[in-house]
Amino acid sequence: MSETEVRGSTVGEIPGRKRLVVIGVGAVFWTWLLARWAYHNTLLDRLFTALGFPDLIRSELGYRQQESWIPAAPFEAVAEAILSAESAVGPLDFLIEWAAWPFELAAFATTTEPALASGAFITVYLTILSMLFGLVIAVPLSVARVYGGPVLSGISLVYTELIRGTPLLAQLFFLYFGLPLASFFNGFAFVGEGVVPRASILVAIIGFTINSSAYQSEYIRSALQSVDAGQLTAARSVGLSKLDGIRHVVLPQGLRFAIPGWTNEFVYLIKYSSLASFITVPELFRQARNIGSDTFAFTDIYVIAALFYLALVLTTALAMSKLESAVAIPGLGSSARRD
Amino acid sequence: MSLLRVENVDKSYGDEEVLHDVSFEMDRQDVEVIVGPSGSGKSTMLRCVNRLTEIDDGAIYLDDEEIHSIDENDLRRRVGMVFQDFNLFAHRTARGNVTLGLTEVLGLSKEEAQAKADDYLGRVGLAEQADSYPAELSGGQKQRVGIARALAMDPELILFDEPTSALDPELIGEVLEVMRDLAEGGMTMLCVTHEMGFARSAASTLTFLDEGRIVERGPPEQLFDTPEHDRTRQFLGELTDLH
Amino acid sequence: MESVFLQAGDWAFIASNGSYLLVGTIVTVLLTVTSLGLGFLAGFPAGAIEVYGSGRLEDIVSTVGVVLRGTPIVVLIFLFHFGLPIPDLGDIQWLDIQLSTFVAATLALGLRSAAYQGQVFRGAIQSIDDGQMEAARSVGMTKLQAIRRVVFPQALRRSVPGFQNEFTIVLKDTSVAFAIGLAELLTRAENLYLQPGRGTAAMEVIITISAIYFVLTFTTNRSLDRLEDVYATPGGNE
Repeated sequence: MSETEVRGSTVGEIPGRKRLVVIGVGAVFWTWLLARWAYHNTLLDRLFTALGFPDLIRSELGYRQQESWIPAAPFEAVAEAILSAESAVGPLDFLIEWAAWPFELAAFATTTEPALASGAFITVYLTILSMLFGLVIAVPLSVARVYGGPVLSGISLVYTELIRGTPLLAQLFFLYFGLPLASFFNGFAFVGEGVVPRASILVAIIGFTINSSAYQSEYIRSALQSVDAGQLTAARSVGLSKLDGIRHVVLPQGLRFAIPGWTNEFVYLIKYSSLASFITVPELFRQARNIGSDTFAFTDIYVIAALFYLALVLTTALAMSKLESAVAIPGLGSSARRD
Repeated sequence: MSLLRVENVDKSYGDEEVLHDVSFEMDRQDVEVIVGPSGSGKSTMLRCVNRLTEIDDGAIYLDDEEIHSIDENDLRRRVGMVFQDFNLFAHRTARGNVTLGLTEVLGLSKEEAQAKADDYLGRVGLAEQADSYPAELSGGQKQRVGIARALAMDPELILFDEPTSALDPELIGEVLEVMRDLAEGGMTMLCVTHEMGFARSAASTLTFLDEGRIVERGPPEQLFDTPEHDRTRQFLGELTDLH
Repeated sequence: MESVFLQAGDWAFIASNGSYLLVGTIVTVLLTVTSLGLGFLAGFPAGAIEVYGSGRLEDIVSTVGVVLRGTPIVVLIFLFHFGLPIPDLGDIQWLDIQLSTFVAATLALGLRSAAYQGQVFRGAIQSIDDGQMEAARSVGMTKLQAIRRVVFPQALRRSVPGFQNEFTIVLKDTSVAFAIGLAELLTRAENLYLQPGRGTAAMEVIITISAIYFVLTFTTNRSLDRLEDVYATPGGNE
């Protein structure tokens, strides 16, 4: 027995011990992140103020005025302590510096807390919205491809091939610099006010949605095609129209097959949301870049950014794999990594 | 001096005892056939002889040398194996399947190996298929390539692990014919099979293995016609009826 | 960035800068090739180690792989560009690129690709029936011989679709090298429409380079498909 499809997953199989580490660190990470977001959330502020706790949530502070919750002092102290041994070891002092670096990095990281947390918020909701909207477009797209006549199927094919065959960054540039979408959105007064995101974010959502829809439609397409043709025939023989048959019989089965693809897509979007920084969206990577150019601590901030993304990616992948095992049908095929 | 001597071999997988106190001996040119129900440990016994599986207790001697005192690769050069699922190297032609061991293990030159491979493929009736890939061959042809591959190494003993069990009925005959020729030609063979016809006609000794133990062992006529144990009668009777 | 309309003048502008974009295309292709090459050279052993290795080495390879696959390519490129002390290796004049930048981009794209190619190769090795290894050992080959002569050749063949996948991804991700100032295709596109008075050409320029990317991915995929047919074991991979 052999497989011809090879799975390209980020997380793969994490052995038991490391898995626990990821879960542990992940839990702390998300608690901190969610707490920060909640603390500065406008909606929650209004709610709690109305309930009589006006100072519980402070949403009026922009991230530049926000304070770090984790003190830098302990880390700095440890770093100092290690470095004080430097003179004692002579030529091996670089080892001491290496040992002190993680603590210096941690101290530095604490100063970046507010900015990165606010950036991460945008990263996360950008990802989630793009996945969802992309799905909404992808389902009819894939149905058209599999069940549509030559015209519908052709249109769907052209759409997916074009989107998948060109770089995401070029697509974002096209929407933001090529088309005047940002100025179009800025023409609306409510854009950028309150809960409505600013124009650049809206453009980013559109860009990621379109891109994701093309990939998701491919996953769904192959999932639909794995559903036995007899299912639709049976549905029609009972009297269901073709569309109803697809909706009530094929899709429910087929969508389950697409879950591995969605895991890949989720992870992909988290990582590639970083490209939105190039169309001025203040998401996680942009915050990191800004801190970098402010402090010139380039290596440090990008290491912190990498760790941040890793935390997001690994916890997501772990959660999705739990979902997969809960919902998946045994003996299912694997998925190809998105290209 | 016997060629193969198995002494008090035990093998367990976890809690399950697969072989218990198995002992027997084979001389050169013997054709030993082992039969028994599924799960009786027959294949495991075979795989212990060429150390694809390791025994837990007891000893196995090839030519009076205990098999763990010999280099395992050397052991396998001297003991050939033919698999139920053929296990032909999918990326190589029939000829390529035979030459690989010749060049890698015996150190023959490419030309010598090819000549020898063609010779052995001819002996199993596959001279014309030398350039075909396994996927292009029928089951019976694949198995014959497997036999040629094992033979070409000039082994002292060949192990056959249910060589015809994966074949369609009409293809079984061509493989059994090759095996009979081998037996008549004096090859020392240890076979696990369900083919009672072959067992009866070609075996010099027949062993009935059940639940990891040798129930009965002797000339085929004895086990088929005048078995000492009920279990033997029961098993062989059932199978002979089917054939 | 004023008008939405596709202006004829804008297309003429692009046409007159054909060679400028062509050089960008060459840089893109070059970067893709070097990155994929590095990816293969590092990924192949990485995959083998993940299957056959044990203990410390396997652990390290596996962890590095997870990090490379879980970090956005932008972050990786920036890390290699800023974090690694790559010496000034000079320029390639006619391509108008700085070698140190090109090296940083290759390292980032290449090592990340290696992490993914390692996975592809690992999966391919694991998909090969145990019986192949057993048959090889049964004629007396050592484990190493068996891996080299029986497992790897088949695993490589099975890795081709994954490799094809990887090519498309790397090609498109070369556009991210724009962020460290490497003058590949996207950078040059931007340079064109950022020229004073050429803002209206942004849409046309981006459409043009997107078409170039598309043609590159399309033709290479088809050629790789053809290649796969030519080298496939007759009868398919069993």
